[in-house]
Amino acid sequence: MNSKTSNIGILFFILIGVIPFAAAFIYALLYSFGILGVFNDGFTLKFWESVFSSGEFLSSFGYSALIALVSTVLSVSGALWITLKFKESLDKRFLSFVMYLPLAIPGVVAGFFTFQLLSRGGFFARLSYQLGLISEARQFPDLVNDTYAIGIILAFITMVMPFFVLLFLNVYKNERLEDLGVLAQSLGAKKNQVTTKVFLPILLKKTSILIVLYFIFLLGAYEIPLILGQESPQMLSVLIIREIKQFDLSQISEGYVVAVIYTIVVSISAILLFLPKKGIAHET
Amino acid sequence: MKLKQIQQVFLMLGFSLLLASCGSESKKEDDLQKASWEEIEEKADGTTVNFMMWQGSPVINNYINNYVIPTVKENYNINLEISGGQGPEIVQLVMGEKEAGVTRSQVDMVWINGETFFQLRKIKGLYGPFVKQLPNAEYIDFSDPYINTDFQQPVNYMEAPWSIGQFAMVANSAKIQEPPSNLEELEAYVKEYPGTFTISNDFTGMTLLKSFLAEIGGGPNSLDGEFKEEKYLELSSQLWEYLNRNKQYFWKEGETFPKEQSKMSQLFANGELAIACGFSEGGIEEKVKSGLYPKSTIAYAWDNGTIKNANYLGILDNASNKAGAMQVINFLISPEAQYLKANADGMDANTVLEISRLPEKWKQKFENAQEREYGLKMKDLEAYAIAEPAPEYMIRLYEDFRTKVIEQ
Amino acid sequence: MRLNWKTFVLSFLVILVLFPFIYMVLLSLATDWRFPDLMPNYIGLKNWKTILNSETGLLESFFQSLFISLSVGIVSTFSGFFISRSVYYHPKRKYLNLLTYFPYILAPVVFAACLSFFFIKMGLFGNIGGVIIAQFLIGFPYAMIFFSSFWNKKIRHYEDLVATLGGNRRQTFIKVLLPLAKSMLLICFFQTFLISWFEYGLTSIIGIGKVQTLTIKVFLFIKESNNYYGALSCCLLIFPPVVLLYLNKRYVFKNLV
Repeated sequence: MNSKTSNIGILFFILIGVIPFAAAFIYALLYSFGILGVFNDGFTLKFWESVFSSGEFLSSFGYSALIALVSTVLSVSGALWITLKFKESLDKRFLSFVMYLPLAIPGVVAGFFTFQLLSRGGFFARLSYQLGLISEARQFPDLVNDTYAIGIILAFITMVMPFFVLLFLNVYKNERLEDLGVLAQSLGAKKNQVTTKVFLPILLKKTSILIVLYFIFLLGAYEIPLILGQESPQMLSVLIIREIKQFDLSQISEGYVVAVIYTIVVSISAILLFLPKKGIAHET
Repeated sequence: MKLKQIQQVFLMLGFSLLLASCGSESKKEDDLQKASWEEIEEKADGTTVNFMMWQGSPVINNYINNYVIPTVKENYNINLEISGGQGPEIVQLVMGEKEAGVTRSQVDMVWINGETFFQLRKIKGLYGPFVKQLPNAEYIDFSDPYINTDFQQPVNYMEAPWSIGQFAMVANSAKIQEPPSNLEELEAYVKEYPGTFTISNDFTGMTLLKSFLAEIGGGPNSLDGEFKEEKYLELSSQLWEYLNRNKQYFWKEGETFPKEQSKMSQLFANGELAIACGFSEGGIEEKVKSGLYPKSTIAYAWDNGTIKNANYLGILDNASNKAGAMQVINFLISPEAQYLKANADGMDANTVLEISRLPEKWKQKFENAQEREYGLKMKDLEAYAIAEPAPEYMIRLYEDFRTKVIEQ
Repeated sequence: MRLNWKTFVLSFLVILVLFPFIYMVLLSLATDWRFPDLMPNYIGLKNWKTILNSETGLLESFFQSLFISLSVGIVSTFSGFFISRSVYYHPKRKYLNLLTYFPYILAPVVFAACLSFFFIKMGLFGNIGGVIIAQFLIGFPYAMIFFSSFWNKKIRHYEDLVATLGGNRRQTFIKVLLPLAKSMLLICFFQTFLISWFEYGLTSIIGIGKVQTLTIKVFLFIKESNNYYGALSCCLLIFPPVVLLYLNKRYVFKNLV
């Protein structure tokens, strides 16, 4: 093949795919050390020190990771359960359309909808009131902007679980798990053995990278925690943007410190996930 | 060679984009300060003005979208475009553009006051003085301290007042007979009615905190003058101690605070809160009439007083259409626009115009305007007015309210 | 009885999925719907009418979003297709592939916050062009990853075959590669279209509130607690993807395994 065109292709790839990322990272890095910024005067470590000493970053990081983890685990388990229990029914025309519908809902809408439903003035609170379960709005349990991030987790599950159901159904078909199951049973495996020893391992193994990827996406999610989150601790993206857009102009660098750390963490995860492993020749 | 061609096109596109972006250095603006109003009007005709403003209130958005935009189009052939943003966003935009050396800003005029004015001045982001050139400025009384001083800073015609109002407390009188009007009563109140009070983590909430701070300082004038670090630390530590001591009785046990004033209105509307607060003497008129707030809603004064301030319109130093912005601002302070803005059923914002200076026709209109049915009038609160303290108080309160109360 | 509980759970799931759509439409038709009313006092087209003839600019936002997303979809898909060929035929493709994942995996809003300086510098701040380019920067890696599986040994053989038979590169593309990739191109286009259509954080930063796409409008209405207009803009936001789904489910869902 023509190596010149190929080189131009690579050039473009570097230009669009690599340089912006590198530029963004370097900009954030320089800002975090006070080298850039109208209100900064030269290299300093104080922003890094104050980010780590305030504890806000660490709690936000832990909080985000926990929310992402819980949401991913619940979504994947729920999706597995639905897939394995209902795989035959989900093949039907109407249901198979319905199952795709949640994919038409973006994070903004999921957040807005969850708020409309679960807030103390929301639909379920009204339902409880009409049913006589509560007599005032504030007796309704705290489900949005709450400490345990119940609203955020529910919205995440709304977004992620349908995706995994579809994914598992796909893998189930593509990997001919049905046949494998029949085979295993004819070899004497019991029904739940087929599920735990054949279906689950294959489904999870085939989708493990995507599961981790979704965990990382949720870790950096922005719109949903912006609508449904509380003021402290906040999820990472919300924290970063708040710090970068804050009133006190001399502290903007702290936002970039968090951005740099977040970018590094995410990049390391990408390397661990996608760096070609030696010994496994991946033929394309 | 299709591929090659496509790739070449891409390459050209990329370069032309870079060139276009680098070559957009503008020529120096003619000096508008010496221009006559006719010249400015002529320059403004047929242009587009970009106005960055806080868009968190439906009545304000309605006033802008359905009255101001069509009227400036019709009267002056100006396309007024609104972009959402306030305080820090404006300052950051200007700062970002300064860092990048952008000479033609994306935004021409901004709605600001106090701390934003202060920060914009600090980074030399404001154009002016321009207000004296506006014909309608003659109706404004610039000797009024609440107009010529913005957070203890002389305005010096660098921003034009747009409306003026006083902060007030709001309560649902059906739920509480005697709403608290000082910190001591508030403490007793939250213990009696836990969960029905909160402070929004935005400029409304911070303004309430300033009133509290003044009360702790011993009187309505205790924060006047320049910002003093020791005074702030001493008073604010008492305030944080007070809030932390009581926040377990706040909304959601003080674990979190609403981010926006509009959210607080919703909470008050559905009965979660029994006490709220707000600018424009509480700003309850439209909300009660539209049915959002119950008819039993009252606005009332705080013993030690509440902040009274004006908000302003400014023009950015690197605005690309200063003449257009001046034309729009002149319209916004015209008797016509101010009269509609003061409509009790609409935006319900007090005019900055001095009624006695207006032409007879407008004088009568203003004097016979329909009064508020539910809210207080600014006059009622006159005895309880506190001037805005120095902007540093606001900036520090923002930061410390987060670290010393929310995150505790 | 086993069949029964399954049917029950299934019906429940269906309701769960349909509920948001119904509720959004209902909310967009309502006004003055507050605690503790279970159903709105008013149901009608009042809100929908105002968007067509007032200054809220929702219709304008709709078309602006459409324009932005179409541009992002087309540019991402085609650049991704052509450039991925160079990348995935490259001897170092595995490392190049890793590089595509960095911008892909990073939260767009953080990416935008760190990039905004360069956008200001280049005059791409607060205008549609800037938003399109910024969204392209996240649509492109997606398209790259999407086409990574396309450039396999089989395709390579086809290309060699055409070359052996005397075909030139142009013929290879027009007669062989594009027809082979047709359905993938279409899916990739819709996927990148949706990435752009759903995007909020990056758009809000690069567009500084001046480029008011539908997602920006939703947030605006959330900020002023205008639930009805919020729901209305949500409806406009989810309606196109639902149509796409109806046309072909694969447009909206593509597994990446």
